[in-house]
Amino acid sequence: MTELVIARELRKVYGGGRKQRTVAVDGISFTCRAGEIYGLIGPNGAGKTTTLRMISTVLAPTGGTATVAGHDVVTDGHRVRESIGFLSGNTGLYGRLTPEEVLKYFGQLHGMDTGLIAERISELAELLDMTGYLGKRCDKLSTGMKQKVNVARTVLHDPPVLILDEPTSGLDVLAARTIVDFIRVSREQGKCVIFSTHIMGEVSRLCDRLGVIHQGTMPFEGTLDGFREQHGQDLEEAFVGILETSA
Amino acid sequence: MNLASIATITRKEFKDVLRDRRTLFFMMLLPMLAMPLVMIGFTKFIKQQAGEREARVLTVAIEPQQRELLRALALRWRDAHNIEFGIVMFKLFGGSDGQDIEAMYRRLAKAAVARESGAGSVVEGSLGALYKNWDQLTEDQQELLTDFGNINKFLDQIEWVGFDDLKTVGTLSGGVEIPGDLPGALSQERVALAIQEKEIQASLHVPLDLLERLEEDPLQAEIYVLYDRSINLSKEFYERFHGYIEALGRHEVDERLRMNNLRPAFIDPFDVQAADIATDSRMLQAVLGGVMPYMLFIFCFLGAFYPALDLTAGEKERFTLETLLLSPVSRMDIAAGKFLVTFIAAVTAAVLFTASMYLTFTQGILPEGATEQLNIQFEPLALALTASLLIPIAALIAAVVLGVALLGRSFKEAQNYVTPLQFLFIIPSGVAFLPDLETEIHLAFIPLVNVSMLMKELMKGNYLWDFYWITLGSLLLLTGLGLWGTSWLFRRESVLMRS
Repeated sequence: MTELVIARELRKVYGGGRKQRTVAVDGISFTCRAGEIYGLIGPNGAGKTTTLRMISTVLAPTGGTATVAGHDVVTDGHRVRESIGFLSGNTGLYGRLTPEEVLKYFGQLHGMDTGLIAERISELAELLDMTGYLGKRCDKLSTGMKQKVNVARTVLHDPPVLILDEPTSGLDVLAARTIVDFIRVSREQGKCVIFSTHIMGEVSRLCDRLGVIHQGTMPFEGTLDGFREQHGQDLEEAFVGILETSA
Repeated sequence: MNLASIATITRKEFKDVLRDRRTLFFMMLLPMLAMPLVMIGFTKFIKQQAGEREARVLTVAIEPQQRELLRALALRWRDAHNIEFGIVMFKLFGGSDGQDIEAMYRRLAKAAVARESGAGSVVEGSLGALYKNWDQLTEDQQELLTDFGNINKFLDQIEWVGFDDLKTVGTLSGGVEIPGDLPGALSQERVALAIQEKEIQASLHVPLDLLERLEEDPLQAEIYVLYDRSINLSKEFYERFHGYIEALGRHEVDERLRMNNLRPAFIDPFDVQAADIATDSRMLQAVLGGVMPYMLFIFCFLGAFYPALDLTAGEKERFTLETLLLSPVSRMDIAAGKFLVTFIAAVTAAVLFTASMYLTFTQGILPEGATEQLNIQFEPLALALTASLLIPIAALIAAVVLGVALLGRSFKEAQNYVTPLQFLFIIPSGVAFLPDLETEIHLAFIPLVNVSMLMKELMKGNYLWDFYWITLGSLLLLTGLGLWGTSWLFRRESVLMRS
């Protein structure tokens, strides 16, 4: 299988100069293949979001390298952004536009032609059960509806890599279920999925491999089975144990 | 830079901000309505104020006998001018047509006075005919009508009370001084007190031998008025009394001149004929010249304000900016799209305001004091040059507002940063207000001040080419700097990702 995402010794330092220097990510390496779900697990402030943002080119790494679908995140950001779909728990929508307009907009930004955009929108609307509110303004939608629109926006251009930053945070059980199903389906479609979470249930149900992030470093990196073997069957206990020993 | 991406972003941002009521209000509605509303409101307010003052019945304290003397004086005047009135009536209406001539006289006179004081709308009836034919009357006839109006107003719209009827008791407050040499009741403190407490507006003293004195040598009768000029209605009484006594005095002088076979020039040695070549339109254009740059700067700023905040800090607040940064377009394209929308909003607001102002003045609503239909004329060259300054100014304002708004983490924070900026633009533009500041070449080197001074001159039709080129050059430099600064901010991840 091809390795679609490769991160090598990624490092991010904020501040410096007169400002307080903060090392947010300190030498993180991992890879993720097509048809694989990779979980980034860690407490709040561990560096998960910073890592995902570096991989998706929003932040420039201070050190290390990363490639997505063979493109370097620093020198070839445009190609990287073409290859990923990014979704986070608090991704917003343009409230004064309708889901259809939002999807069209991002389709155009991805350089898709009008016919293909329309085709994809109706396909995704069917799949995610959104046909009823495609023409309503986004600020009139429920949280669950909005998240579905966001999912559609993420996969509209059919990217090989999906980067999901705590995609279920703030969602109710039903909406969170939609996301979990979506992650599973994406794996079946052969996508490379990286998602961050601190919910152990999601990890055990979804992840093929995982990396534990703590204070900017990665004390564990490997398969879910390897994790269980090394640290015991109770994931939560194991997780807390790792955090305590690496602190 | 990718033009297709910029076009996509610009189109979407436009759609987005145009669905925002605040943006629509500041970009379109306010610029269009500001001037007509101010003009209508202002004109109406002034007319109403004048009308109310006109219609007010004032109270004056006077001895009954003395009051009769004042009436007798007015009657004397009426009798002397009967024939002239007949001529005026004929000129205006082609005869009396069997109507109540006395009532006609009165209405006419009232209209003449109202016409002079700007309270025209409160008097109806003969007013229409009067306005239409006013210019056909000779100057003497116009004066006759106005005098009669003033005399009538004094007699009709005044309530007379005797001194025994005064009720106010108490003591006078500070700042009031009763002169020592006043005759009769006027020297009494209670009269001054009644004026102060607004029971009456004034008090009069007329000598009982008034008519005899006018025949004697030195042909002068003293009349005393006690009033308080710090009280508006008291001052109004004094003005009415002044109008009345001046009208009567004019008549007395005419009589004396006639009796002594003297011509009017005897008491009026100089006849000044001042010819003002400035029309009302020109005066307005000169005033607008000072105001216009200021208004244009304000409306550029107002137009840019909401789109700029909405498309930067607003996007951060709603968590949509990150998604946009994750799409395969460069940050410069994003900045360019957002800038274009802000810039177009600024220009739209300024242009709509200018057009609305032009229509307000040329299509009907006249500013106070204007007597002719206004005809503001801009030469095409002046318009083109003004536009050549407005475009970079709008671009500069849009770039600065956008860049500063981007620093905010939330709409509110951005608002705190951007709001003080208006002084940066408005204070230099207000310099053109200063009436005595001449447009000298060294001012061309002060950014923004030069633009407003130059726009003022262009409005007046003056072309200062050296000044223009220096101003345009410095403005373009400044605008370039603003654009560069804003694009630099858009490349900073610490600014974009501030949250």
